[in-house]
Amino acid sequence: MKKLKYILIAASFLPMLYAGLSIAAETGSALKKDSIRAEPFADARVTGNFNRGDKVEILKKQGAWLQVKTKKNTGWVRLLSIKRGSSSAANQTAGILAAASGRAGTGQVVSTTGIRGLGEEELKAAKFNETEIKTLEGYTLSAEQGRQFAAAGNLKTIAFSNLKAPKGGSK
Amino acid sequence: MRLSTKISMNKNLFISALVASQLAGLSLQSAAFDIKGALKDAVKEQMDQKKDPKTDTPPVTAPENKTPSTTPTTSTATAPVAEEAKPAFNWKNPSQEEEISLGREIAGNLLGAAPLVKDEALQKYVNSVGRWIASQSDRPDLPWRFGVIDSEDFNAFAAPGGYIVLTKGLYRKLNNEAQLAGVLGHEIGHVVKKHQLKLLQKQQLLNLGAGFLSDRFAKDNKLVSKAIGSGAEISARSLDKSAEYEADRLGVSYATRAGYETFGLADVLQTLGQVSKNDGTVALLFKTHPHPDERLAALGDAVGGKLDNIKNGKTLEKRFYLLKN
Repeated sequence: MKKLKYILIAASFLPMLYAGLSIAAETGSALKKDSIRAEPFADARVTGNFNRGDKVEILKKQGAWLQVKTKKNTGWVRLLSIKRGSSSAANQTAGILAAASGRAGTGQVVSTTGIRGLGEEELKAAKFNETEIKTLEGYTLSAEQGRQFAAAGNLKTIAFSNLKAPKGGSK
Repeated sequence: MRLSTKISMNKNLFISALVASQLAGLSLQSAAFDIKGALKDAVKEQMDQKKDPKTDTPPVTAPENKTPSTTPTTSTATAPVAEEAKPAFNWKNPSQEEEISLGREIAGNLLGAAPLVKDEALQKYVNSVGRWIASQSDRPDLPWRFGVIDSEDFNAFAAPGGYIVLTKGLYRKLNNEAQLAGVLGHEIGHVVKKHQLKLLQKQQLLNLGAGFLSDRFAKDNKLVSKAIGSGAEISARSLDKSAEYEADRLGVSYATRAGYETFGLADVLQTLGQVSKNDGTVALLFKTHPHPDERLAALGDAVGGKLDNIKNGKTLEKRFYLLKN
C-alpha cells in the first residue's frame, strides 16, 4: 500500500521532470548517419557529417531543421535525424537492442506496472462494458462538426500526399 | 447420433487446446502457415465423419444457407466443407458493418479494462480533433469515435471500424493540439489500413481450421468473441513493425493535410523515447511497438526532404484542453 503511494507520487512528478529537462541546454544524439549543412536547406553546402550515436548540442529549431553543434563544427541537420535529450549511451543502446529483438518491456517489467496498469493481464481479463461503449459512441461527431472545429482554430487543409515507405524499406 | 456429436465435440476441444498451445508458443505468422494444412485435414476428416450416416448428397444442389450469403459462390466443388464451416460473419471479406461490430466488441472490452475519463469536455475535444483528422484520411465516412481512458499507462489503441482510445497518461504527455493530432492520426492510419482487422482475419483462419466456428457458434456475438479471444487481449498483441511505421507515416500525412504543425507525432515519439524502458507505464507500448528511436529514424527515412516546404502548420496550444487532474 505504501509502495503504491510512492508510485503515485513519483508518477505525478514525471511531467515536471520533463518540463525541467526541456528548459536545460538541450543535448541530443544522432539516430542515423547524416550530413551537416551550412544553412537549413536541402541544397545548402555540406560542412560535415556525423554517425549514429554521435552526441550533439541542439542550438535552435527552424522548420524541419535543427541547428546543432558537434565536436568538430556547427550546422543544420534534419530534425528527424536527431534524438533529443541526454540519455546515456549505454541506456540508449539497451533501448535500441531491446527494440531490435522485440523484447522491450517483457519479463518482470510488466508486473511492475503501477496503478491502473493496462498490461496484457488486465486486457485479457477485461469484460465488455456496454455502458461505456455507448457513452463513447455518444461522442461521435459528423464530418461537418469536425470542419467547424477546424475553422474555429483557423486550420486550413493543404495538399500533401501520403508518405510512402522509403525505397528498400526502413533500414 | 448423440454419442457421435459428443465425440466430435471432444475432438474440437482437443484441437482448440492444441491450437491455443501452439499459438502461445509460436509467433502468429509462423504458426499460421505451419499448422494450417494439418488443421484443414482434421476438419475435413471431421466433416466426412459427420456426413457418413447420411447419404452423401452431391454438392451440385444449391447450398441452403440460413443466412443469405452476399458473395456469390463460385466453386461448388468444395461447397460441403466451406458451407459447414462458413460463419454468419463474412471473415473473408467483412462488410463495413461487420467491421464496425467487431471493433465495437473490442473497444467495449477495452473499456472494461479502463473506463472513459469522466470529463465530457475532454472527450468532446478529443472527438473534435480526431474527427477533423479522420476527414483527411482515405476513410472519411466511417463513424469515427475517440475516447480518453482512465489509465496512467502511455498507450493508444485502435479497433476496426473507427474506435480509437488513448490513455490519460499519454494525453498528459502532450503539450498541444498538433501532438494530439499526430497520435490520433497514427491510430486512424491503423484503422484505414485495417491492420487489426487483418490480424484477426489471420487468426480466424486458424479458428476455422480448428472447427471453432461450426454452426453451434453461429450466433453473431459469440462468434466475434471467439475470434478476438478473451477480453481485450487482441489490443495487447503486436502488429508487424512495418504496420507501425506505416501508421506513423499516415499519422504525419493526415495531420499535415489537416493544417497542423507537421512534427507533432515526432514530438511525441521524442518524449516517449525519453521514458526508461523499465518504467512500467510504457511496458505494453514498448512491447508492442518498435522503440520510439527506431520509429523516428524510420519516419526520417520516409520523410527525407518532403516536409522542408511545409510551413505555417498550427500547434494550437492555447486551446489544447488541459486535464483537470
